[in-house]
Amino acid sequence: MLDFWRNCPQYLANGLANGCLYILVAMGFNIIYNSTGIINFAQGEFSMFGGLFAYALTVSAGLPIPLAAILAVLSVALLGGLMERLIINPLRRSSVITAIIATIGASIFFKSLGRVIWPLEAYKVPEFTPGNISLPGVTVSRQFLWVFALTVASVSLVYVFFNRTRAGKAMRACSVNRQAASLVGIDVFRMSLYSFLLAAALGGAAGLISAPYASYGMGLELGVKGFTAAVVGGLGNVFGAVVGGLVLGVLEELIPGFLHIVLGISTGYKGAVAAVILIAVLLFRPQGILGKGMVEKV
Amino acid sequence: MREKGSPGRPSFGIPGSSLLQRAASLLGRHLIFVGLAIFLAVFPIWAKPLSRPLGINLIMVMRMVGIYTVAAVGLNILMGYAGQISLGHGAFLGIGAYTSALLALKAHLPVWLSIPVAVVVTALVGLLVAPVLRLKGHYLAMATLGLGIIFYVFMREMTWLTGGNNGLREIPALSFPGVKIGQARDYLRAEYYFIWTLALIVLLLCSNLVRSRVGRAMRALHESEVAANVMGVDVSWEKIKAFVLSTGLAGLAGAVFAHIQGYIDPNLFTITLSIQLVTMVVVGGMESIWGAVAGAGVITFIPKIVEALPKWLGEVPRWVEKYSNYEGMVFGLILVLTMIFLPSGITKGLADLVRYRRNPFVNPFRKKAMEE
Repeated sequence: MLDFWRNCPQYLANGLANGCLYILVAMGFNIIYNSTGIINFAQGEFSMFGGLFAYALTVSAGLPIPLAAILAVLSVALLGGLMERLIINPLRRSSVITAIIATIGASIFFKSLGRVIWPLEAYKVPEFTPGNISLPGVTVSRQFLWVFALTVASVSLVYVFFNRTRAGKAMRACSVNRQAASLVGIDVFRMSLYSFLLAAALGGAAGLISAPYASYGMGLELGVKGFTAAVVGGLGNVFGAVVGGLVLGVLEELIPGFLHIVLGISTGYKGAVAAVILIAVLLFRPQGILGKGMVEKV
Repeated sequence: MREKGSPGRPSFGIPGSSLLQRAASLLGRHLIFVGLAIFLAVFPIWAKPLSRPLGINLIMVMRMVGIYTVAAVGLNILMGYAGQISLGHGAFLGIGAYTSALLALKAHLPVWLSIPVAVVVTALVGLLVAPVLRLKGHYLAMATLGLGIIFYVFMREMTWLTGGNNGLREIPALSFPGVKIGQARDYLRAEYYFIWTLALIVLLLCSNLVRSRVGRAMRALHESEVAANVMGVDVSWEKIKAFVLSTGLAGLAGAVFAHIQGYIDPNLFTITLSIQLVTMVVVGGMESIWGAVAGAGVITFIPKIVEALPKWLGEVPRWVEKYSNYEGMVFGLILVLTMIFLPSGITKGLADLVRYRRNPFVNPFRKKAMEE
């Protein structure tokens, strides 16, 4: 038990770092859900492309890291826009189950495309500033500061976008009532495109900062965890995702740590923690811990 | 009641003709079934001479089609008829496979006993997790995906029972008292007949089920849960029934798979398998029992055909040969294109297209627009 308490600060630090990634992915889920009403199962794959593009631009093309980061995020956003035009737009009148299956199709297509171009199990994405920081009881990589700063910057930008710009306000109108929004002259289909651009950019940013490694297989895991974070914060509540991501990130470190040190259970079960949290929250508190998420109505 | 005694149909008068008529009507109702059964029965005769020039071991592939058919029929009832999606069915195949293999390996149960026990166990696990069916749409999809991940992690981590990533080896082959299947001289053909007999029984039972009261109740809740509820359908109970049935069939498919394959490991039962099953259901056609056969056939044969391409064409580009690399791109494209252009799958979609040529009022594509 004492060992567990001694490790706690480290768990918290790791949890917060992972939580930041989940926040970005979860916000992507929420933004798309709000303006189109569907869950994009390819959201995790946007992150995969973010990481792999960053690798290609820095290591293969030799660009400086800041430029490569911006280019990677923009290319992923473009990909998201392309996906909206080619898959989501033609299906705008279909049922939920049809749209789910189409985004699953897109997800396995993207994953396989990533695997064809970058076939190795792991690619080392250069860290923005290498090295570690040691505090009493905690050691974190310097990258952690970047992760934190970029997440704060992205969340603030999204906040400004939704509250200060015309397009952002129009998207919020769509999330309240799409039919009413289109009646007052908002182009709902363009908002759907914007939401995919924005969500893909956020996902790409998550993949970019999830250094040190990127691979074609990272999408599913990030996708499931991002969705869990979105559900924990309340699906549809864009800023609930911040709470959801942090809670999930920390729990995901604390629970396996506790089970391992106190009860002696293998850390291999860590992979199931997010899924268990997801199902538990969906069953017992579907509106999320903040209670502002949308519950599916009949 | 009225039909029986109505003067227009004196079919019960002459015994001989009534029997003939009844046989004819039965045949008419089960035309697809009888046709499929005859085709499957004579298939091995052509399979051998065809296999060599094609470069595909047809019997071996058809075995897998049969196994996938069993699982896909169950999933089709759940997705197509009851309208509930599951992205975790690969795990239920895994549970069936592990249960049957462990019973045969560790408890030394005969295979003909371990398979039914595995089916029951898988169905019970399905019943245990059935509360997730309270969720709808996206939530259900993600929750079942989560279930698949949880079961996968347990299969991998419970090394004392499942052997972890190394899996289980030397699983006994299929056998029944007095009948050799897995040890027969031509064991591929014996297994082929066994699997397809099983699959045809399952198909027949399920096609009867969906025409019964239960099947109608399921379709009703697919259309509108509220309306079904108002009409006296116990919505949550019908969903649970469909789910338990589909998990039981997945368990059956998994158990048979374990015994013909001889080895299993957790990586056979990942999300990839779950998505393959969903692809079979979607491509074959939701809300169509026979679509499951078509879907299982198409999805199982595509990889084999691509692998055989070099033998047909002599030379193909290197990247075409490495099918497993871009398998996901093919499946992804198939899924997306089916959803956009043929949302009711190949069997039903093509039939609808033909009908539309004859009659503009059942245009499946315009119907959507009319409803809005």
